[in-house]
Amino acid sequence: MALPEHQAEPDLAPVPEPSVRKRSGGGPAVRRRTRLARGPLTIGEPAPRVEPRLAAAEPYRPDTIADGGEVFGLTIRSASVRGLQKRYVGGPRQDDLCLGVHPPTETLIVAVADGVSAATHSHLAAALAVRQAVAAVARQLDEGAGELDWTEIFEQAAWALVEEHRRGRYDADADAREAAPALATTLVVAALTPEQDQNADHPPEQCPDAIGPAKGQNGRGPEPRTLRLQTAAVGDSPVLVLTQDTFEPVVGETDDADGLVGGGVRALPRHTRPTCAKPRSLRRGSVLLVCTDGLALPLANGIGEVGRTLARELADPPDIVDFARLLDFSRSTYDDDRTLVAVWPGSRS
Amino acid sequence: MAAPAPPPVAAPASEPEHLPPPHAAAGQVVGQVLPLYFVGDESHSMRGDPIAAVNQGLLDLRDEVAKHPLIGKKVRFGIITFADTAETRLELSELSEELILPTLSTRGRGTSYASAFEALRHTIPADIALLKVSGFQVHRPTVFFLSDGQPTERESKWQQRLAELKDPAFRERPNILAFGVGDADPKVIQQLATSPAHAFMMREGVSTAGAIAEFAASMLNSMVSSAERLDRGEQTLEFEKPEGFVQLDAPIL
Repeated sequence: MALPEHQAEPDLAPVPEPSVRKRSGGGPAVRRRTRLARGPLTIGEPAPRVEPRLAAAEPYRPDTIADGGEVFGLTIRSASVRGLQKRYVGGPRQDDLCLGVHPPTETLIVAVADGVSAATHSHLAAALAVRQAVAAVARQLDEGAGELDWTEIFEQAAWALVEEHRRGRYDADADAREAAPALATTLVVAALTPEQDQNADHPPEQCPDAIGPAKGQNGRGPEPRTLRLQTAAVGDSPVLVLTQDTFEPVVGETDDADGLVGGGVRALPRHTRPTCAKPRSLRRGSVLLVCTDGLALPLANGIGEVGRTLARELADPPDIVDFARLLDFSRSTYDDDRTLVAVWPGSRS
Repeated sequence: MAAPAPPPVAAPASEPEHLPPPHAAAGQVVGQVLPLYFVGDESHSMRGDPIAAVNQGLLDLRDEVAKHPLIGKKVRFGIITFADTAETRLELSELSEELILPTLSTRGRGTSYASAFEALRHTIPADIALLKVSGFQVHRPTVFFLSDGQPTERESKWQQRLAELKDPAFRERPNILAFGVGDADPKVIQQLATSPAHAFMMREGVSTAGAIAEFAASMLNSMVSSAERLDRGEQTLEFEKPEGFVQLDAPIL
C-alpha cells in the first residue's frame, strides 16, 4: 500500500477510541486497534512476517534496545534490534552498543559491536567489548590524552573477552586464540570532542557551521567550536557521516573483495590492531552514524532505497522509539541484527 | 465505518506500512543472495539406487528450503551434471514449491571431471553478473561436488581445469565441497575441495545410495545454516560432516 509522504505522528494527537467492526452474519464484534498495530516499516519488497521467539539467553538480552538524549550540545539516538533470523529461531541479539560521556572534556563516546555468530557466546562478547571500550576511552581522557591510543583501547576490549573466557572455563591460562571460538566480536568506537576552532577569532555569525553551547550560557558568549571525531574499528562495523543524502564512509573494513560480499571478518580477541580514521571534524548539518553490517549491507553505497529512506528520516532526530522502528525496517533477504547510533551536532530543543 | 479517521501514517491493522518509495536509482541494491551449485555424477555407475537417491535428495531439498520462511529468497540453486560431458540441468533458480526439478538419469560412457569444472568456470561468472545487474549483492558461491567414480580422462586435463576454477585470480571462484561415494578415489576427492576440511569420502560398509541420502541431507543443512549467517560478513560456508562419510583431512588412525 502506497502512502503519502511519511510524517511523524503527532505525539499528543488524541487516540481514537477503538472502532468496533461488526462481522457480517452476526458474529462477535472485532476490536480494531487504530494506532499500535502498524506492522513493520517496509522498504522495497518486505521480508516475511515472523512471530519472534523469546531469546532465552544468559545473560538476558532484550530483543530491542532504544536509547537517546542530548548531551554537550549533541542529540543522540541509538537502537539495536534483533534480526528476523534470530527472531525466527529464538536466538539472542548478537549486536550491542554502549554510550559514554566524559564531562571534563565534553566527549561523547560511542561503541558498537557485532558478535561473530560462529562463536558460542558472541552476544556476551559484544556486550563486554562495547562497555570495556567506552571505559578505556574514558580512562585515556582522564589521563589527558588528546590523541587516543586506539590499539590500547582495542587490546583492553579484547582482554575483557579473554578474561571472561578464563573465568567461565576456569582456565587461567587461556589466550585469545582459545577464547575466540566462544567470544568473538567486531568493534567500532568513536569519540566526539568539541575543540577550539582554528578560526576562533571569527565572529560566530561567520562560522555558521560551528557548534557551541547556547548563547549566553553561564554568562559567557558563544564559543565557536567544531567537533573533532576520532574513530577506529576492528572488523566490518562502519562509521559513516551522512550529509544531506550522501553517506561518507569514515572507517570500517569493506568485505567486497572480488566484487562479492561476506568473505570473512576480522574480530576481537584475535585481532586487536584497529583500522583508525584520521581525526576529522563533524559539522552541523551532518549526522554521525555508527552501525553494524546488518544495516551497512542493505544500505550499500547509500544510493538505493534504504539510503534514501534513511537520509530523509534522519534529516532531523526522530523520537527514540520511532528511531528504533526505523532501524527495524522490513526488507526481503536482510534479516541480520541491526545497530545504529546517530549523533546530530546541535540540540533539538 | 463509524470510527474516526486514523492518523495519516497509521496503516490498517496488520498491514505493513510502506514508506513512500524512493526513486529507483542505477546501481540500487535489492537484496543479497548465495549461489549454490550441485555438481553431480550421471555416469553409468550411478545407475539404479544411487541416482534415485540423488533425485529424492534434490526433491527434499527443494521442499524444505521452499518451506523455510527466510532462506528461500536468499539462496539460488543450480544443477550441473557430468558423465562424458557436462550439462546444466537447472539454471540458477530460486527454490520455490513451484520449481520443477530435472530428473537426473545415467548417460554417456565416461566420467569427465574436466567438463564439469569447465562448465562451472563459464557458468558462475555469467550467473553472478546477471544477479548483480538485477541489483543483488552476491556472496561467494558454493559448489557441492558428488562423484562415485574416477575421472576417465587424462589427469593433467582435469587438474588443469580444476586449477582454473580455483585460481585466486578468478574473482568468482567458488568454495568447493567434494564428496566421494562408491569407487571414487579419496586422493582425487581431496584435491577437489577448496579447504582440506571440505573433502569427504563414504565410509566402508555404507551403501552408496544411503551415503548419497546423507550427503543430500547435509547439503540442505549447510544451505540453511549458510543462508542464516549470510549477513554476518563471516565465511558463508557452513558444513558438518554427513553421517556415513569420513572427513579426508582427519588424521588417519
